Amino acid sequence: MNTLYYAPGACSIGIHILLEEIGQPFEAKQLDLKNGAQFKPDFAGINPKSKVPTLVRDDGSVLTEYPAIAFWLAATNPAAKLMPATPDGQAMALQYTDHAVSTMHMQAFSRMFRPSNFAPGEADAEAVKARGRELYEKGFAVMEKALAGKDYLCGDFSFADTALFYVSMWWVMRMDGTLPANVAAHYARMLARPAVQRVMAAEGLA
Amino acid sequence: MKLIYSPGACSLGIHVILEEIGQPFETQRVSTRDGSVHKPEFTAINPKSKVPTLIRDDGSVLTEFQTIAFWLARANPSAGLIPDDLEGQARVLEMLDYICGTIHPQGFTRQFRPVNFARDEADQPRVVAQGKALAEKYLALLADSWKGDEWLLPTGYSVADAALFFMDQWCGRSGITPPDRITRHQQSMLARPAVQRALAREAA
Repeated sequence: MNTLYYAPGACSIGIHILLEEIGQPFEAKQLDLKNGAQFKPDFAGINPKSKVPTLVRDDGSVLTEYPAIAFWLAATNPAAKLMPATPDGQAMALQYTDHAVSTMHMQAFSRMFRPSNFAPGEADAEAVKARGRELYEKGFAVMEKALAGKDYLCGDFSFADTALFYVSMWWVMRMDGTLPANVAAHYARMLARPAVQRVMAAEGLA
Repeated sequence: MKLIYSPGACSLGIHVILEEIGQPFETQRVSTRDGSVHKPEFTAINPKSKVPTLIRDDGSVLTEFQTIAFWLARANPSAGLIPDDLEGQARVLEMLDYICGTIHPQGFTRQFRPVNFARDEADQPRVVAQGKALAEKYLALLADSWKGDEWLLPTGYSVADAALFFMDQWCGRSGITPPDRITRHQQSMLARPAVQRALAREAA
């Protein structure tokens, strides 16, 4: 059985959704990031990067990094149809995932949420947050265009949609932001999926 | 196929991969320093204003280092730049993501562009110092955890090594002392003809 280490409402929620979509039994272990559980030896021994999502697989081996876990889950569970069938289609799914994770999350959201990680001077905090907001909106603009005329980023549902879902969720739930039209429709579509509803309830967000 | 790159930027890794594949390709040079990536000619191609950007034979554009590397490796299986099996491919992605998603933006961007982090010039030396400390920590973690010998993966050379190479080069530029393994990795890479060709073109 796969074991997912997650924190409620963190980016790990996207992987949590993929596991629910697959529908095979898995274990979800919650980490208390606010109390630094990710840096304690119990967890750092599993993932020295001290990050979620972390996936411990049936054979005990550990897989890290959101796009790598998402791709591996999709590729090993073809019946769940979590990515396009062709290498070109899979590249598109990865491209949207990288954009959400590496840019919108790690560059933009982190600036808004933890400005002190970026600028050491408190006087700069507001400027860092504003820059984060600008980058986030620019990130959504790319997604908005990609979704034109489509229900999901690659046409059919794929793992890329779970990455867009969590950055959309943060904008709505944590930043009180308004999503552009296509992204808002995508977010509503995601929330209507039973797997997403189960995860929202399990993480205490419903 | 056309690669849009900026000399010495992370796009060097994709440049190496294209040379390893050995099929004809074109290059177009832009600069991430003079603002040319923010001009309409470039943003029309890649609105994210980033390199590497790959224009494929059918005119479609691919962005994001990890995505381009993974796609090139899988589209050119005879080049042997990625394991055939799924497990190996997931490990390649994991390495690419750590190098391009964490070590580059968190460790090195702080050192090369402190103004992106702190506008106040007085704070910038602290941003640079923090970037160095983070880069050293991440590189040590990478050196401790990598399962291969000369190359990152136990299965041999892969596109993940081309990603690590641009970072090998950056260690010298930023004056940090990398773990021995990273220094040896850089030497192994510099001995490859494909790497030499990519470096020569970027220096020309």
